[in-house]
Amino acid sequence: MSTRMLLATVLALMLLASPAARAHVASNGFLVVQVQGAQLRGSIELAVRDVELAIGVDANRDGRVTWGELRASEPQLIQYVAQHLSIGAQGSRCPLDFQGLQVNHRVDGNYAWLPFSAQCRQSVRQLAIRYSLMDAIDPSHRGLLTLTDGAIAQTGVLGGSDAPALFRVDAPSPGRAFVEYLQAGIWHIWSGIDHLLFLFSLLLPAVLLRRHGHWEPVTRVRPAFISILKVVTAFTLAHSITLSLAALDVVRLPSRLTESVIAASIVVAALNNIFPLVTESRARIAFAFGLLHGFGFASVLADMGLPHGARLISLLGFNLGIEAGQLAVVLAVMPIIYMVRGDAVYRRTLMPWGSAVIAAVALVWLVQRAFLPTG
Amino acid sequence: MARLTTTLLGRRLLGRKLLGRKLLGRKLLGGLFLVLGSTGIAWSTPQVPDDDALVLAELPPGARHESAPARELAGARFDVALPLAQFYIARSRASGDLRYLGYAEAVLEPWARRNPVAPAVRVLEATILQSRHAFDAALQQLELALRAQPDDAQAWLTRATVLRVQGRYADAMASCGRLADRADAAVTALCQQSIAGLTGRLRPAYTALVALPLQQLSAEARAWRYSELGEMAERLGDDAAAEHWFTEGLQLDADDLYMRAAYADLLLRQARAAEALQLLTGYESMEPMLLRIVIAQQLLGDRRDAANRAVLSGAFDVEQQRGEAVHRREQARFLLDVEQQPAAALAAAQENWRVQREPDDVLILLRSAQAAHRPDAAAPALQFLQQQQLEDVRIAPYQRELR
Repeated sequence: MSTRMLLATVLALMLLASPAARAHVASNGFLVVQVQGAQLRGSIELAVRDVELAIGVDANRDGRVTWGELRASEPQLIQYVAQHLSIGAQGSRCPLDFQGLQVNHRVDGNYAWLPFSAQCRQSVRQLAIRYSLMDAIDPSHRGLLTLTDGAIAQTGVLGGSDAPALFRVDAPSPGRAFVEYLQAGIWHIWSGIDHLLFLFSLLLPAVLLRRHGHWEPVTRVRPAFISILKVVTAFTLAHSITLSLAALDVVRLPSRLTESVIAASIVVAALNNIFPLVTESRARIAFAFGLLHGFGFASVLADMGLPHGARLISLLGFNLGIEAGQLAVVLAVMPIIYMVRGDAVYRRTLMPWGSAVIAAVALVWLVQRAFLPTG
Repeated sequence: MARLTTTLLGRRLLGRKLLGRKLLGRKLLGGLFLVLGSTGIAWSTPQVPDDDALVLAELPPGARHESAPARELAGARFDVALPLAQFYIARSRASGDLRYLGYAEAVLEPWARRNPVAPAVRVLEATILQSRHAFDAALQQLELALRAQPDDAQAWLTRATVLRVQGRYADAMASCGRLADRADAAVTALCQQSIAGLTGRLRPAYTALVALPLQQLSAEARAWRYSELGEMAERLGDDAAAEHWFTEGLQLDADDLYMRAAYADLLLRQARAAEALQLLTGYESMEPMLLRIVIAQQLLGDRRDAANRAVLSGAFDVEQQRGEAVHRREQARFLLDVEQQPAAALAAAQENWRVQREPDDVLILLRSAQAAHRPDAAAPALQFLQQQQLEDVRIAPYQRELR
């Protein structure tokens, strides 16, 4: 190499060597596997950019990958993924069945999202995952795994090795199962706004009394407290019964039906505050509709699954989590409502109009859930 | 390789599923759900686009399937492999895109498996490792390359840079010395003065670099000189001069991301957030740049910072799951200045300190230690400052307070 060339090389590379941290995200694939007995459900996600490099999807070579082009390459993509990803349980392979390519948006761009299901020969205790996607194209590519068995989740990093990665899917300790499902229950109440709206609709008038066609504030804490206690207890009792029955596979209802009726229950409860029909025994409404909400909770639990070997303790944890989350909300809201109950603004504006808004939102859900195709 | 960490992800997955189902409710009650959104890595749900013409990805140069034949050829021909790997590394440098490093690695891989490995391959591998902040592994490759080819100027220069980032200034200076008979005198001077400026001779080093005759330097070396001058001027407390050097340097090489970030930091330090934002427009896809954009947006009370915060924290989460430390310094600064979580920032800054020890790493460690009321955690950085006699007016106040 001549001195001139040497210097050119040095200088060309010199700035590379400057100590900056400069990078997008490296290439990642996202693998989600949910274990349910011997059944696997999951998805694999690859960046559209990576898919292009691996199998070539930019058919018209204009430097842009469109949805049409990606969709047309679905069979090749499935073939490529099937060659480079395999999952086995206790030594025997669980054949992956891919279907229904979709697109997911992530921080570093669009990803091809491919769901799959698989049937293993026996209930899964140890998963072996072989992952060599993007292997020869980008050795720094890694598969980021989220493996769940019910609410018990673990993560792992795949790729960069010929040996399969092994993951144990054991029955969790009862304590761990209880805590995880307790948290899942609390989380569900706080993110499942429909149950809260139903409860609010029943609680808003709990600090009032209906007399001669008008709302009047209760005069003492005691009746308000008892009224709330009755409503909450009735709701809890009812949904605990159906949640347990459904979770243990004694009774099953189609989820479209339960979801629609839950929405309807909110509409009814909210409208009852504006045009009161039932004023004395809201606890009965709470109980009747609570039975249906229980089926709603159960469908969430069915999505998560109960870990084998710890079913009952997990169910108990989930149920208590729901009660705890609910109680926290009641304890936060009720003192405020109690304090403002004497204010005419509360009785004439806040309560009826708040109820109207709740009814409107629930009505939209009702239409969505009962009549629109599910996606 | 299966690194296993147990998390409570189940709950997050659950939350995400519910969000998908209640799409309209989410719109109506958006505020409530913002809180939930910040807990997941990516919580958007997959969809089937309804338009075939929807563009999902723009393919950058060299990232098309068309290039497959060239990559295959590189497996058989060394004279194709080297320039191709260099091209990918250069793309990575200019675009900040880590994927190119992987492409370069793939091209080099068959040649790295040969026995003996060509020193040029090791030097390129070291460059890749260094860009991923795997400094010890990079040094190892360089040692091997230099053992086979002690005259390799690029290897000595890269070695000097890596050692400098690690704060091993004496070794770095020795590496610069080995350049003397092998490379241009001006490049050697740049290498040596930049180290001198970190070890108690800041003012004379600055003067020497200012006086360095420009005609001896290529465009790239000139940009490097501007970058060093800008940082030296900042450490001396002469912000006006620093700004002059940075603007000159960026005019020469707009793709120098390191210099752009340094200039943005100067602007942010002077609370000139609008100018910083302007400087960084078009660089949003790079985490270090996005971090500075978010800081600027916060200074300006710009509401768009929320979305960018979510993007950044998602990117940091993914890096964490991969077990990489490429952006630990940025993560520490994000936690400290944006999220205002001093304890978490300190943890990240300490982890970062184990990997790299540049003035900015000293600064983030001291600032986090102070914010977290943990003066004890600042000790390693304070000791380092004293040992190396590193001068920096940005660091000095923290140094006095934490001593």
